This record gives sequence, C-alpha cells and structure tokens, in this order.
Amino acid sequence: MQTTPIVDVKNLQKIYGAKKEKQYEALTDINFAVAPGEFVGIMGPSGSGKTTLLNLLSTLDVPTAGSVRINNQEVSHLKGKQLADFRAQQVGFIFQDFNLLESLTARENISLPLSLQDVPRSKTVAAVEEVAQTLSIADLLDKYPAELSGGQKQRVAAARALVHHPAIIMGDEPTGALDSKSARELLDLLSNINQQQNVPVLLVTHDPFSASFCDRILFIQDGRIKQELSRQGQARKDFYGQILEQLGTFEQ
Amino acid sequence: MLLKLAITGIKQRFRDYVVLLMGLIISSGIFYIFASLAINTDFIKANSGISIAAQVFMFGMVLLLIITMVYVSYANTFLLSMRQHDYGLFMMLGAKKQNIGVLMVLETILLGGVASIIGIILGIGVSSVLSQFLFNQLGVTIHHFSPIYGPAMIDTLTVYVVLFALAAVLNLSKLMRTPVLKLLHVEDEATNVRVRPVLQALAAVLGIACLAIGYYAMAQIMTLQLTAIPIALVTITLGTYLLFSAIIGGVLTAIRKSRFAAKRLRTFTLAQINFRVRGYTRILTVVSLLFAMALGAISVGAGFQRQIPTMVASISSYTISIKDETPNEAKLAKQLHVKWQKSYQQTIQGDTAYYNEAAFAKQPFPMLANPAAKNDGRVKQFSLPEFKKKAIISSDFLALSPTSNHIRFLNNSDFNNLKGQKHQLTIIRVHSNVQDRKVLEKITASQQRRFHEPFFNLGGGYSGFVLFNNLFGGLEFMGFFLGIAFLAMLASCLMFKILSGANKDVVRYNMLNRIGVSQRLMKQAIWQEVGTLFIIPGVLGIIDVLFGLQMFKPLLYNPYEIVGWTILGFCMLYGLYAWLTISLYRRLVVPPMQLSK
Repeated sequence: MQTTPIVDVKNLQKIYGAKKEKQYEALTDINFAVAPGEFVGIMGPSGSGKTTLLNLLSTLDVPTAGSVRINNQEVSHLKGKQLADFRAQQVGFIFQDFNLLESLTARENISLPLSLQDVPRSKTVAAVEEVAQTLSIADLLDKYPAELSGGQKQRVAAARALVHHPAIIMGDEPTGALDSKSARELLDLLSNINQQQNVPVLLVTHDPFSASFCDRILFIQDGRIKQELSRQGQARKDFYGQILEQLGTFEQ
Repeated sequence: MLLKLAITGIKQRFRDYVVLLMGLIISSGIFYIFASLAINTDFIKANSGISIAAQVFMFGMVLLLIITMVYVSYANTFLLSMRQHDYGLFMMLGAKKQNIGVLMVLETILLGGVASIIGIILGIGVSSVLSQFLFNQLGVTIHHFSPIYGPAMIDTLTVYVVLFALAAVLNLSKLMRTPVLKLLHVEDEATNVRVRPVLQALAAVLGIACLAIGYYAMAQIMTLQLTAIPIALVTITLGTYLLFSAIIGGVLTAIRKSRFAAKRLRTFTLAQINFRVRGYTRILTVVSLLFAMALGAISVGAGFQRQIPTMVASISSYTISIKDETPNEAKLAKQLHVKWQKSYQQTIQGDTAYYNEAAFAKQPFPMLANPAAKNDGRVKQFSLPEFKKKAIISSDFLALSPTSNHIRFLNNSDFNNLKGQKHQLTIIRVHSNVQDRKVLEKITASQQRRFHEPFFNLGGGYSGFVLFNNLFGGLEFMGFFLGIAFLAMLASCLMFKILSGANKDVVRYNMLNRIGVSQRLMKQAIWQEVGTLFIIPGVLGIIDVLFGLQMFKPLLYNPYEIVGWTILGFCMLYGLYAWLTISLYRRLVVPPMQLSK
C-alpha cells in the first residue's frame, strides 16, 4: 500500500559560503522519506551534516537545491508569516538543551504553542492537562524550569512539542544532556507516543542507545546518506547490537 | 600573548563594548556638566538671586554622585560578566591569577579614564551648544558661566577613576574567589520568582507611607525650610523602591493568571516584564527619581520663564517710553513688534511737568486696570477726569517725568502758550519683551546716553524685564539646563541597563523563532517589554513632580500653571529615547527567521 509520506526529501543539497568565496558542501544529494507513524533516526559522526539536515527540515535554514516536503507542503520556499505558522503548527521540536523559557512556569511553557494560535483558554487548559498526564508531569506544571531536574525539564519540553499535535516531532539529541535513567524514560515516552498517537518522530543523534528505539536509521557521513538500517521487528537489544556493528564497520 | 587574547576578546564583543563605553561617556559627560555648574560658586552667587540655590545644587551633586555610583557598579558587573569567560580561558592556558588580576585592574581603570576624558570633551561640547541655545531662547544673560571649567574637569576625572578603581578591586576579589571552571561556564541561574503576599503587602504599605511623608514634607517647605529636601529625598527614594518591588510583581502575577494572558505572546511578555522589573528595581528607582528631577527642573525653569512676562506685564502698561525720538531711534522703533503706540507732548518748567488735557481726551493714556496687589496685567483706558485723578499716583505716568515733583494738566491754549522745556513723548507696548529685547536694549541705551538717566528711572515694562531677568534668569537657566542634562543621564542609564541585558534575551528570542513565533509578534513583545520599563518610572516620576512642585510655591505664583505642557514636551523627548532603545534592542535580540539565504 502506498501512503503519502509525512516527510519527503528529494535531491537536497546545501552549500555554505558565497559563490566566489571558498565553498563547503555540507549536504549532497540527500533523498529519503518518513512514512506516517514512523520513528526515524539520523546518525552520523560530528561534522557529518546531521545538524544541517535537521535545520533544513525544521525550516531554520534554506537549502541550496532540492526540495523538502512536509505534510504535503513544500517548505523550502516558505517566508514570513507562512513560515512562522508552519513552524508553530506542523513541527514539534525537542532540543538538547531543553530551550525552556526560564521566566515561565512549566504550564506556561507548554501552553505557548497554543497561545500563539489563539486557542481558547479552556481548550488550552484541557490540552495541557492531557499532555501532562501522558508525560507524567501533571504535578510539576506550576514549577519554574529552575526547580526541575534535567529529565523533568526535557519532559516539559517534550510536552511543549506535543501539545499542539504537530505533523511531526523532531528531536536534536534530546537525550544529550540527560543521565541514562532519564534518557531511557524519555525515549520510552517518545516511542509510546509514536505508537499510540501515530506521530512520526525524527531523531538526530550520535548515541546508539537512543538510535535503537527507532524503526529505521539513516547513517550520514560527509554530507551523504551512506547506509540505511531497518529494525524489521527485531527486539530493541538486538537492533542495538546491529547498530553498534554497523557503526564499527562505518568507521573502518 | 595575553594582550593579543584580550584584544580578540574585545573584537568579539565589540557591540557590547560600544554600548558600555557609550553609556559611560554619556554619564561622565553629564557629571561634568552638572559639576561645572554646581561647584562654580561665582556662577551660583551671581545668578541665583536666592540664597538656597547653592544648597540645592549641593543636594543635587550628592544625588548625582549616588546615581553615578549605581551606574558605575552596573557597568562593572557588566564588564566582569563579559570578561570572566576570557579570564577563565587565560587561566586554563596557564596565566597566573596575579597576572590576570593586574590585567583586569588596568583594563577597568583604563576604561574609566578613557570614558571620562571623552565624556568631559563631550560635556564641554554639549554644554556650549546647549547654553548658547538657551541664552538665545530665554533671552537671559548669565555671568561667570563657562562650558570649560577646570575644577569640574578635575573632579569628574577623579570621581570616575576612583569609582572604577574601587569597582576593579571589588571585581578582583570576586574573581579570585571564583574557581576557573565556574568562570568558563557562567550560566545565569534563573532567579526564582516567588510571591510572598504578606511581605509584599507590608512593603507596599510602607512604600506608600514613605511617599506620603516625602510629599507632605515638600508641601510644608515653608515650615520645614531646608530640612524638607533631605527628608523628601530619603523617603521618596525608599518609598519608590518599596513600591516597585511590592506592587509591580503582584499586579503582573495577577494579570498572568487571568484570561487576558492566554493570547499569543502575552504570557511571555508579562513574564519578561516581571522578571525585569524585579531585577531592575534599583535602576527603576533611580530612573524615576532622575525623571522627577529632570522634569521638576524643567517645570521650574519653565515656570520662571512664564512668570517673568506676567510680572513684567503687571508692572507697567507700556514697555518703553522714548523722549524726543531721534531719526535713529525712530528707525529702531520701527523694528519693534508694536502692540500699541501713543504720543504726547510734555513741557517741563522748574520742578513741574505740564501736559495738554486735550491730548489725553483725544488719545487716552492706557493704565493698569487694577492696583499692584490684585494686578493681573490688564490695561484700561479711563475717562479724562478719572485719568487726571489716577495719573498723579500712577508710577507709569510719573515715570515720564522723573525729575519733576508736580504734575499739571492745562487746557489747549494755556499749554500752547506755556514757556519751558518742550518734549515729545512716545510710549510703546510691544507684544513680547523676549522677542524684541535686542532692539529695546539699543533704544534704552540711546535714551540713557542722551538724558543721563539712571536705567531704572526710565520706567516701563522693559526695565522690569531686565530686573527680573537678572533675578530669575539664572534660576530659569539652571532649571532648563539641568533638566535636559538629567534627562540625558536618565535615558542613558536606562538604555544602558536594558541593552546590557540583551544577551540573555537573545537565547529566548532564538527559541521563540524556532517554535514559530512570527517576527511581528516578537517585535511587538519587545515594544511592550522595553516600553513598560520606560513607562513605569515615567509615571512615578510625573507623580513625584506633581507633588514636588509644592516646594516652589514660595518662589512662583503658580508652579502648576503650565506643568501639563512641560510634561508633554518632556515625555516627547523621553519617548524619543525609548524609541531609540527599543529599535537598538530589537536589532540586538530578534533573530533573522532563517540562518542563510
């Protein structure tokens, strides 16, 4: 059965530097798609182009050539208000360093994407309560980020990414600043949400443990997709082993 | 190597250094301008007309010193926050703490010295332009005033270098106590915003009480005399501070919890303001006081400016009298903006001055409508018999014949047959003494030369104008001059504080950009956030002034007469600063929507 992919990337290229200056090609001819409900990981060593790719997908940067379609919308040419609306409605973003506003309580941080769309207060309250239940942070809602642990902060950040039911969730090393227990909890949560709500997740990471939660992993090196690995119903432990093996051959 | 690193550090944060240096230059410039007036005792003695001016200036000086201390301490905290990462890096690379210490102290003192020298030069420039402008606008003559005043230069330089040396030592001890790793990772620990209702209520009540005492003290200046000023200064400062810390936070928290907040970026903006207001309590207090002082000074200056014409108008019905006009005087008189002009003939015989009755019947002599105490400057023309009764006690009329002891009115034929010294008198009233002051001065000088009369024997409103200008012009000038100087100080103080906090906001706005906040909303949020920081002290400052003008009741007829206009003008200038700050801030903080094109 052929379904329309949520993310569809074709011939994507990114070159840094002006034409007459020294140029650097960060991404070369990237092609891939993310199906609805898929949990996709992007792995690669430092400098491989992971962050550039994520920036292009999240519309934070503009590609030199090629197309990025998200939820049936070409995003590489969006501008101004359309661009802002796209970010606010279609993408839920989780950052490595949480990016919570420390002057707002957890509740206010989570409500922000809804306030931006002028969702009525009663609906906002309900939506925040619901997502807080899912992420088990209901009792933390009135605390400020400074009063929360790293794991709690990241769950609040995840709640903010989820609250407006975006078309896709993107994570940029979301477990990078967490201890192993919190990291595992967050990844469990993400895959639960991915399975129960059928939201596709795109995870950029260099950590094989995080990657083992994915359905499919794209390995990037020097700006190109070098390898693709599918879980195909394997247990997570086995998949983890496969990833480690792959990484091993990759670095040879 | 260290030097090279230091220079690279400065290059990287060039924008921040420009902000820092600009702030310091403006502050030292204003300090110099104030000092050049306040410690110039000749100037104060020659121009104030009232004895308390010198003390008022001393209070002003003390206050400015305190403000400068706050300012310099802010500047140094900012400087240290910019440098500590570099210092940490130097130490990582193996530099000794002592070397870093020396580097830091040198940097700090050098910065203070350079800023104050440029500031003094700027101060001299501004002072000469501003004083020239004010002299021309107000039509006052100021003695012993010079934009270049040696002692003030020395004082300014000393104050700044000493303050910076002190700050450097404080920074040094702070630096020495901080471990290297902490220097490298200076994350701002978020201040915990907790509401403590009882404490806040107490602070609010205490604050209002303090303000009430201060305002009452100012209103009672007649009984309290000079003690009113220090009482008012202390209580109003304390009251403003308490009120700021108590009320603003509470009100903002209440708004945040309300339905209103759940729209767009409002929660964020409110939280930002709340955060800021708490962190800025000290500076907002200083700003509201500066605002009040600047506005007060300008209001008083404007009050005097307004008062002089009123007083002049009530002294005399006409502006000048010209005896036996020469062709040259006639030419000058043509240049005047005449409201009305009358001519009479006069014959002096012995110690009696004779006039032709018929002339006054045909062309009534305008006189002040009411006697001195109730006089409002209105002019009336009386019937001949009534005029004759009033004329002999009217100083305006008597001034036309300063050397005669008696006045007689004769009928036409008697007057024409009379022998004696014949004079032609022209009396003129102009629309504005200020406007015509240069021509009036020339005519008066010419008359004095010809008739050898002492200046104040000439009569007319112009002599009164000159007298009052000598008395009050100095105060008027000081009011305007200081008002504008204080405004500049205040604006740079607030601007500096706000711009120096931009670094923290850059992160926040970056995040907002990522989650899809449009540029328009972000700009709006900045307008609201920074605008509020300007509005709050402005409103408090206006309230301070409205009460503070009570102090000038003994000096001015009605200090409140045109306060509305001064407030409006002042707010426009203040608004201009706010706009400038907001635009600069926006440029620093709002990120581009996308990284590269």
